[in-house]
Amino acid sequence: MKVTYAKAIGDALKEEMRRDDKVLLFGEDVAQFGNIFGITRGMLEEFGPKRIRNTPIAETAMVGAAIGSAETGMRPVLELMYSDFALVCFSEIFHCVAKWRYMHGPEYKLPLVIRNASGSSNGAGPEHSNCVESLFMHAPGLTIVTPSCAYDAKGLLKSAIRSDNPVLFCEPKLMYQQKQEIDDEVYNSDYTIPLGVADVKVSGSDITLIAVGLMVPRAIAAAEKLAAEGISVEVIDPRTIAPLDKETIYASIRKTHHVAIVEESNLTAGIGAEFAALFQKEMYDELDGPVERIAALDVPIAYNMDAEHYSIPDVDDICRVLRTMH
Amino acid sequence: MEYAKDFLLKVHKELLETRLMEKKLTEIYAQGIVPGHIHSGMGQEGSYVGVLSTRKKGDYFKFGHRPLAANYIVGEPMDAFFGELLGKLTGNALGHGGTNHLGRLQDGVVGFSGSLGCDAGVAVGAALTIDAEQRDNISYFFYGDGTASRGPVHEAMCLASCWKLPVLFVCENNQFAISTPSSYSSAVPNPGADRAAGYGMPTAVVDGTDVLAVYEATQKLVDYVRAGNGPALIECKEYRWRGHFEGDQCAYRDADVTHKYMTEKDSVALFEAKLLEQGVVTEEYLAKLREDFDKAMDEAIAHAVEAPAMQPADIYDCLYA
Repeated sequence: MKVTYAKAIGDALKEEMRRDDKVLLFGEDVAQFGNIFGITRGMLEEFGPKRIRNTPIAETAMVGAAIGSAETGMRPVLELMYSDFALVCFSEIFHCVAKWRYMHGPEYKLPLVIRNASGSSNGAGPEHSNCVESLFMHAPGLTIVTPSCAYDAKGLLKSAIRSDNPVLFCEPKLMYQQKQEIDDEVYNSDYTIPLGVADVKVSGSDITLIAVGLMVPRAIAAAEKLAAEGISVEVIDPRTIAPLDKETIYASIRKTHHVAIVEESNLTAGIGAEFAALFQKEMYDELDGPVERIAALDVPIAYNMDAEHYSIPDVDDICRVLRTMH
Repeated sequence: MEYAKDFLLKVHKELLETRLMEKKLTEIYAQGIVPGHIHSGMGQEGSYVGVLSTRKKGDYFKFGHRPLAANYIVGEPMDAFFGELLGKLTGNALGHGGTNHLGRLQDGVVGFSGSLGCDAGVAVGAALTIDAEQRDNISYFFYGDGTASRGPVHEAMCLASCWKLPVLFVCENNQFAISTPSSYSSAVPNPGADRAAGYGMPTAVVDGTDVLAVYEATQKLVDYVRAGNGPALIECKEYRWRGHFEGDQCAYRDADVTHKYMTEKDSVALFEAKLLEQGVVTEEYLAKLREDFDKAMDEAIAHAVEAPAMQPADIYDCLYA
């Protein structure tokens, strides 16, 4: 069957809520309205107003409510609508969610998920187009997940909901309507994808390309294009940004000796900055060239769509950098 | 109101223990064995114990940073309490949290954020669990007149009233946010109670130094909250006896006023005088209670001093479940 990324997210939520009555969902406009992208449509009718709750626009309290309900026995899924709004409750995520267990002791567990619609979406403008993974990578204690296709989204969200650790779950908005062919039996099999495990999306031997979220399909397209030019690219999707599956990535670097990172967010202090520092330190002897970073230009994402598209890496931008590495 | 003797003795014991513990904290800080800060809760014992006298098993507590003794009152053993305060492995958080993060989940303590007020929603979340499990418990959120200005507190009130959850907001008005008087920050005389109407919450304002007055006013609101009517708010008026932290010389306030509160509005002395007069307790009983508790604290502190501390190899413990 053809499954959209949005449907996969919705199905994961429904399946987990049917499986475990401790799972709750709350956020702005998730009940009658069914979320601004339609993802939670029908859930209020199925699960009722105690488990599917609209919230006022009160993000700091929503994050707090996720903490308080999680530690006392629930498994809340909090929807923050746009990822950008994670910054209005930055302290509650950075100080409270991430540190709560460490600073209160082993008795405290936070089985909670914070979902957010992430990144650019054709004209959403400077405050509705951000990716926040790199901001929260600086908070030890958080698990950060960004799936890049419907199959992964469903399996990873189910694992996130079942995890006893807090998960920041980023859903690139431009992926919501992307369709993927998935075998019916597999899709309906209650499969999960473990957190902290990367996926090799394309096998190759010349260059390792680490791609995150929306950049994964672009990285795959770039790999196909470069294959025709005789450059073999291995595309790896970490899926879980933190903690990182270094084993899978390092096995690839040992094979290719060249590595690049592509992400949708700004270059400076981005995901690639951290990964590059890590790779040059831990894989120095394996690298035959500098670690390349491909990322959005260091400007806010403009409302003007041409400017938006120009500032975010596309297939040609990726190819251009990778050719220089070969 | 008529009270059973057992109830009066329990309230008194908790009141006295809170006082003695808060006093002890200042003493061990002066000895130099506390790695962090001590924010003494002396002057606020009456309001905390009065409010907590309405608690029942299964309730949740989001305490403030003073008095720390509240964590002991609801059940944390002294060894874990002083162990955490001294940053030792015997502490409830293995020494990771320290002074602001005492308490145990099994006693209903849901945790604390050192960025005051960021944890307001946590109390709402605990109430969400109560609601989901259809229990007649409540979630207490203690906060100060300073924290009353913070957005997350207002967002938590907004969410609790929207979802009609069993939260009792307890505004501990000790009149100072570090050095800034409440009268400067708040355009209304009661920064808790006067703002509660915006969230449809019933309120009471009470003299926080009169433990039974606090109990009586709180009990009415607790009955309302337990019955499923949504959140309520009580504001307790009191005075912070000591500085914000130990070492604060309090040059920003009138020492005569402080002296007046300490001599005329001492919640422990006032309550003990009443109990002595009514023949509920004797001087001998009081002396023994003080002596026994002091001894127990000294033993626990000695254990904490001797207890092992985290080693570098343990640094990542407890980061993930």
